[in-house]
Amino acid sequence: MFRRFSSYVRALLHKDKAERDMDQELQFHLEMEIEANVKRGMSFQEARREALIKFGGVEKFKEECRDVRGAPLVESLLQDVRYGARILLRNPGFTLVAVFTLALGIGANTAIFSVIYGVLMKPLPYRDGNQLVIVQQQAPLARIDNVPFSYKEVVDYREQNQTLQDVVEHHTMSFTLLGGQEPQRVQTGVVSANFFDVLGVKPLLGRTFVESDEAHGSDAVLVLSYQYWKGSHGGDPEIVGKVFQMNNRPHTVVGVLPPIPQYPNEQDVYMPTVNCPARSSEQFKANRNARMMSVFGRLKPDVPVAQAQADLSTLASNLQNQYPDSYPANRGYAASVVSLQEELTRRARPTFLILLGTAGLVLLIACANVANLTLARLMRREREMAIRAAMGAGRGRLIRQLLTESTLLSVAGGVLGLLLAAGGLQLLVGFAARFTTRASEIKIDGSVLVFTLLISIATGLIFGLMPAFSSDQHLSGALKESGGRSSAGVRRQRVRNMLIVAQVSVSFILLIWAGLMLRSLIKLQQVNPGFDPERVLAMRISPNWSKVNTPEQTRSLFTRILDKARSEPGVLSAAISSTYPLNQLGITSGPFNRGFQIEGKPIPEGELAPQADFRTASTDYFETVRQPLVQGRTFTDADNEKAVQVAVINQATARHRWGDEDPTGRRITLDRGQTWLTVVGIVGDVRTYGLDREPADEIYVPLAQGGFGGNLLVRTAADPMSVAKLTRESVYEVDPDTAVDRVQTLEQVRSDAVASPRLTAILLAMFAGLALVITAAGIAGVMALSVNQRTHELGVRLALGATPGKVLGMVMRQGMSFVLVGLTVGVAGALMLGRLMSSLLFAVEPTDPITFLAVALVLMVVAAAACFVPARRVTSIDPMLALRSE
Amino acid sequence: MAKPTDLIQGTLDMLILKTLALGSMHGWGISQRIQQVSEDVLVINQGSLYPALYRLEQQGLIKSEWGSSDNNRQAKFYELTRTGKKQLTEETENWERLSAAVDRILQTT
Repeated sequence: MFRRFSSYVRALLHKDKAERDMDQELQFHLEMEIEANVKRGMSFQEARREALIKFGGVEKFKEECRDVRGAPLVESLLQDVRYGARILLRNPGFTLVAVFTLALGIGANTAIFSVIYGVLMKPLPYRDGNQLVIVQQQAPLARIDNVPFSYKEVVDYREQNQTLQDVVEHHTMSFTLLGGQEPQRVQTGVVSANFFDVLGVKPLLGRTFVESDEAHGSDAVLVLSYQYWKGSHGGDPEIVGKVFQMNNRPHTVVGVLPPIPQYPNEQDVYMPTVNCPARSSEQFKANRNARMMSVFGRLKPDVPVAQAQADLSTLASNLQNQYPDSYPANRGYAASVVSLQEELTRRARPTFLILLGTAGLVLLIACANVANLTLARLMRREREMAIRAAMGAGRGRLIRQLLTESTLLSVAGGVLGLLLAAGGLQLLVGFAARFTTRASEIKIDGSVLVFTLLISIATGLIFGLMPAFSSDQHLSGALKESGGRSSAGVRRQRVRNMLIVAQVSVSFILLIWAGLMLRSLIKLQQVNPGFDPERVLAMRISPNWSKVNTPEQTRSLFTRILDKARSEPGVLSAAISSTYPLNQLGITSGPFNRGFQIEGKPIPEGELAPQADFRTASTDYFETVRQPLVQGRTFTDADNEKAVQVAVINQATARHRWGDEDPTGRRITLDRGQTWLTVVGIVGDVRTYGLDREPADEIYVPLAQGGFGGNLLVRTAADPMSVAKLTRESVYEVDPDTAVDRVQTLEQVRSDAVASPRLTAILLAMFAGLALVITAAGIAGVMALSVNQRTHELGVRLALGATPGKVLGMVMRQGMSFVLVGLTVGVAGALMLGRLMSSLLFAVEPTDPITFLAVALVLMVVAAAACFVPARRVTSIDPMLALRSE
Repeated sequence: MAKPTDLIQGTLDMLILKTLALGSMHGWGISQRIQQVSEDVLVINQGSLYPALYRLEQQGLIKSEWGSSDNNRQAKFYELTRTGKKQLTEETENWERLSAAVDRILQTT
């Protein structure tokens, strides 16, 4: 082994010496032979001739000797690379087209892979991220997948489990932070003191929480998230130690987190549980049914998720037996363990995998195209290959030469593709951020580079092998005939036609995917949202709850804000509500479902109460968002805290709960009959929680009777953004402690709601467009060459009386026949692979006939054009010239 | 002159080793020697000889050294290594077994 290796090295280092040795040795042999011949009585000339003949093809067996001697691989590889580079540089047109085509394919794959790697594959940036799990409670019979935890439940799970090293809790609160220029509403993660230790997150600045932070009476402390620190505090390096007012207490910043993906949502700041007014109250802690926390755990070493699942299932059933009141049998009760990594990326997976598949197919098409180009070029290099073979290059050696050339091309394409990917990455990061909080981790790092290198080399081998193996063995034939028309030429033409079939069919599949996504997007945009988003401005308002803490104060504040907003010029109406349609926060959290009971319809024992999304709305809310009144009336100013409690329901609720009966005038209760609300009107359905979701059952109560609403909406006469500043200032004027944020028009909100399908559609359309262009170029290339090679034959046909039109028709028919075969294969493929898309589609079947027809038509037209351009040359063939050209 | 019998695959290596067992020799010498000893039945083509020599050297069965020939020219001399000697013994035994077997078959009537 060692000798072999050292001989390689020696051969490489002393290549020239080895060559000289060999020459000298052979020379010696020749001389001895001549001498022997002379001794036998020949003349010197004759002796030399005889010796040379006997010797045979020197170069051929020199090459054999070289192969045997060792280092043929490395040495000849270098030689191949040099030679290949020379050949490629001598054909700049071919090289450019090939490199660019490959760059597009490889670039697309690199970009998508960096997203997939960063989001789906890379270990979480926490210590032993694969040990981290999310614990969830479910009420399967009530079809609720994610019931939050109460304090007592957190304690039970922490103390009674056998499989988790530690259990920590987390919930999100929204507090107003004072001490900056304006009051600021901050999204606050309220967490166990050891939360970051369990996750294994080291702070960027300062420290994270320690146990003493959670002791009662300790100073209130905050840890800032990286994004918030950068965004709202300009990355202030002196931030640690700064004091802010929050919940009427001074809070000291003790640390800043590194940029990490946060779950379940992005937070601005973190605080220990003891400082959250809601979480630390004794009343809350004592109530097993007061649930608001989510729970994380870390698996003990070498404990698989399944084992933890079994452990917690047992724990859950124990709890259910112990506290039957808290876990009613009619709702069912279960606990589940999900790996954090999986949960963080669950929403992203289907879309990203489709994109990866798409990028892969584009690369395949690019490969086919370059293989086609290479084949065409190979036809012209037939002679060169034959001569090289005659000079002693074995078949394997020739194939290696071709593969080296193709790999050179693909690696060049890879480098260019990497640049393209780096350029487009920012776009993709923004795209990915719509699906997962891991988006910020996407970058082109070592793993992505390795991927690009591997895929480049693989690409080179794939498109290089195809032409290489169609290479001819019949040297003499190749030497005699002019390359293009040899039997190998015919075989290559067949390979090229097959490549066209493959390209067309793969393009068809890609176009179908893009088409389906596009159709789905159009359908989504055609959905009637049930409200009129034009010229409405929405903003979130967050009063300082530690000062505004009675219902009277809240009502008064809301009334003053509304009056002030209405008095601004250009404002037509104003309203305050708990949420508004397509509000991003609402879409994330889903409907606020509560059970209710209709008067006279007691809920049978063991059945779940009807559920509806409970919303508060001020008097002018329906008018402001233009949600139509269907029956009865909406709220008036008379529906105040002193009046009879009323409710407005939407059509879905009326349909589901009353059927044909008239709900107006009927009464419902939320608290098992303690208070009753009279239904006074029915409004139209609104797609509040996403255009792709059926309207939820909704019950609205007047703000004056229902308490709290966090969003201000104003309908304006002109562009709503023009009054944004004014409205915001008018809120500060009414109460300087009320934070205002998330200022946006409902148009923007609506457009945001379709942003991810839109971006997916755009990406798919880009890939499909790319595939189409590459395929069209491939078809045109094959046609051009075929017409070129058949000039003679076509000339004969013309000379025998075929009209140019007829000949053109024939050529076109022949070209299009391959396209049709490809199309047929493509339809079959698209029908099979369409199912992969179904989770991304809205109101469109993956076999949608309109899409299939439209795509087939587009592909046919483009293919026909691609055929026609080179085929047109047929009509200008001069039969006489063509015949003479032989 | 009768067409030289094609050598059975692998036999050439054995013949070279055997020839070199008599003493170090250059390539031309080896081919001459085999031709002479076999009384012109076996003619070793250079196209087979040199690749075989290089291969044997690569396998460590022979080693080479530059030296001067009888007529005072620089020539590359090959000689057996210890592994080469062992290999030769083995191959000779194999060959004898094989040829004896073939003989027996051919002589059975």
